[in-house]
Amino acid sequence: MVRYGNLIEALEAAPGERPFVTAWVNEDEQETVTFAEFRRRARLQAGVLRANSVTGGDRVIIIMPQGILTMTVFIGAMMLDAVPALIAYPNDKVEPSKYRFGVAGVTANLNAKVVVIDEEFPDEILGHVSLGEETRLLRVGNGSGFGREEELPPSPGQRDGVAFIQHSAGTTGLQKGVALTHTAVLRQLAHLSQGLKIDSATDRIYSWLPLYHDMGLIGCFMLPMVCHIPLVMQSPLDWVMHPETMLQVISEHKCTLAWLPNFAFQFVPRRTRPSRRAQYDLSSVRVLINSAEPVRTSSMQEFQNAFAATGLKAGALQSSYGTAENVLAITLSDIDRPSGPTRIWADGRQFRNSHRVVPVSEGSAGSICFTSSGRLLPNHEIRIVSDSGAPLGENQAGEIILKSDCLFDGYYNRADLTAKAIVDGWYHTGDLGFCVDEELYVVGRKKDLIIVGGENIYPHDIEEIAASHRAVHDGRVIAMGVYNPDLGTEEIIIVAEVESEDLLANTVEIEREIRGQVTAGLGVSVGTVFLKPPKWIVKSTAGKPARSATFEKLQKEHPELNVE
Amino acid sequence: MTEEAKEMIEYILRRIRKPTLVIDENTPLVSSGLVDSMALGDVVLTLEDLTNTRIPPGAVKPKDLDTVAKMFATAQRVGKPRK
Repeated sequence: MVRYGNLIEALEAAPGERPFVTAWVNEDEQETVTFAEFRRRARLQAGVLRANSVTGGDRVIIIMPQGILTMTVFIGAMMLDAVPALIAYPNDKVEPSKYRFGVAGVTANLNAKVVVIDEEFPDEILGHVSLGEETRLLRVGNGSGFGREEELPPSPGQRDGVAFIQHSAGTTGLQKGVALTHTAVLRQLAHLSQGLKIDSATDRIYSWLPLYHDMGLIGCFMLPMVCHIPLVMQSPLDWVMHPETMLQVISEHKCTLAWLPNFAFQFVPRRTRPSRRAQYDLSSVRVLINSAEPVRTSSMQEFQNAFAATGLKAGALQSSYGTAENVLAITLSDIDRPSGPTRIWADGRQFRNSHRVVPVSEGSAGSICFTSSGRLLPNHEIRIVSDSGAPLGENQAGEIILKSDCLFDGYYNRADLTAKAIVDGWYHTGDLGFCVDEELYVVGRKKDLIIVGGENIYPHDIEEIAASHRAVHDGRVIAMGVYNPDLGTEEIIIVAEVESEDLLANTVEIEREIRGQVTAGLGVSVGTVFLKPPKWIVKSTAGKPARSATFEKLQKEHPELNVE
Repeated sequence: MTEEAKEMIEYILRRIRKPTLVIDENTPLVSSGLVDSMALGDVVLTLEDLTNTRIPPGAVKPKDLDTVAKMFATAQRVGKPRK
């Protein structure tokens, strides 16, 4: 697919009669469009955008619910050589003022020409969206009155132009738009197509992943579009409320490939009644790729055991590691390995104390099991480095830094952040990992990013909200993620010092209010709020709350937090 | 309050691990952050069991499940008999 000049050229080359996107709602409600129909609708949206003065290079922000319409607007913008960016649709939990802040930040940073919303965009949120003088708000829909299909000039084939911008979640993350060129995306897709052995005649992708997330956008939209394979998609919200429907869709449509974050490998089996499991047929599945979160052996084993009777192949569950800054993936496990990704057992104490991997026999007392994220994609090079940047040897965990042929172009309009992330041509991922036998094992994050259900949460965002509560001493809050084995993902906990001891008599009310404020502000749920007396949080030498030392103190008082 | 509503409240308190919390049929659960989207799948399954119905995907939004009262009203409105 590197043979294509750009992504639109790849779409134009797809066989018109072949099904492209099926939007699945339930067994009675689904819509399928062919590649030809998708192109027609995308051109229609391009016409709408052009009628609103969008031209090459303009940034177009799209805030629309998951669906074919959103995808055609995204591609329509690219057809004009404009640069689209998808951001999350508002949900019931997000406070309008916080949402406004996020949208305003993105539009200001991208200096967007238009912000595209759908016909159903909630008025209570719309009233709070403030845009710059140069930015237009544009509602689009499937109705015929919104524009007309236009004959567009052939794609200019600019291989080095920015194709689109990806954002990570969170109000801070919204300031970091990852600019990706057509060339970088096409190279990544070529590597993935090769590693996944994509067959355009037989493969079919299933997805519930949000399109504003790299795994949803690249793995489940760009990959099928460029490889000319069908995609069956449902909305993330519908899926999370009915997780079992993933099995139903795969069975009905005989899907062969899906990308899933680790938590889904526990989430689905635990919400599918054992009596109903046998009715599904997963024999069509070639690969389910575990990515976007640290890969946990127990989660994959649980899924495999739960659905063994559905015809799920033993080696179907595989793994990958990646980052939006590298388009999507950096590594991929060997999909032909019948037992799935490689696993190793290491001495737990040695690892925790010195980040050294000392192999031990399987299941030894005190051991930790690590699951490989696979080998590097072609034209990729990584180093494991210490805090000082010195290269570390095999079996030693450190920060993963990367060079590749599909690295991002930088954070859009943020040269300061780009300069911090890319040093001497090496992208510093902020993730911790180690290599054994040329396979990469990812163990955590150097930064304090919290990942809940595959979603990136920045502690600072939570701390800022919690610290604004009248009962909390300003600046004396720490938020962190703690792995919850029941959920298969991290859970947010907050430690906050109250202004005075007497407030500890009313912790239930304060906790409820803090939880509600964080949920309203960020749209995430908080596991536990630990309210502590004044001066309880450990301070660093700089006088700031010391995260790891405070967590250790917390673990001593609350042993239930000691989870392997 | 019906027995089913009481059972649902007991289930939710267990699910969110707050057994001492006091909630009634009209306590906001989703909009207050007590029940997050990850827990909604469990709530829907329990609602289906308590009402002996199937809630079709795409037919409900989180706001339809914001209180226990709304949950049962939603099940009555969109629930289909189980096969």
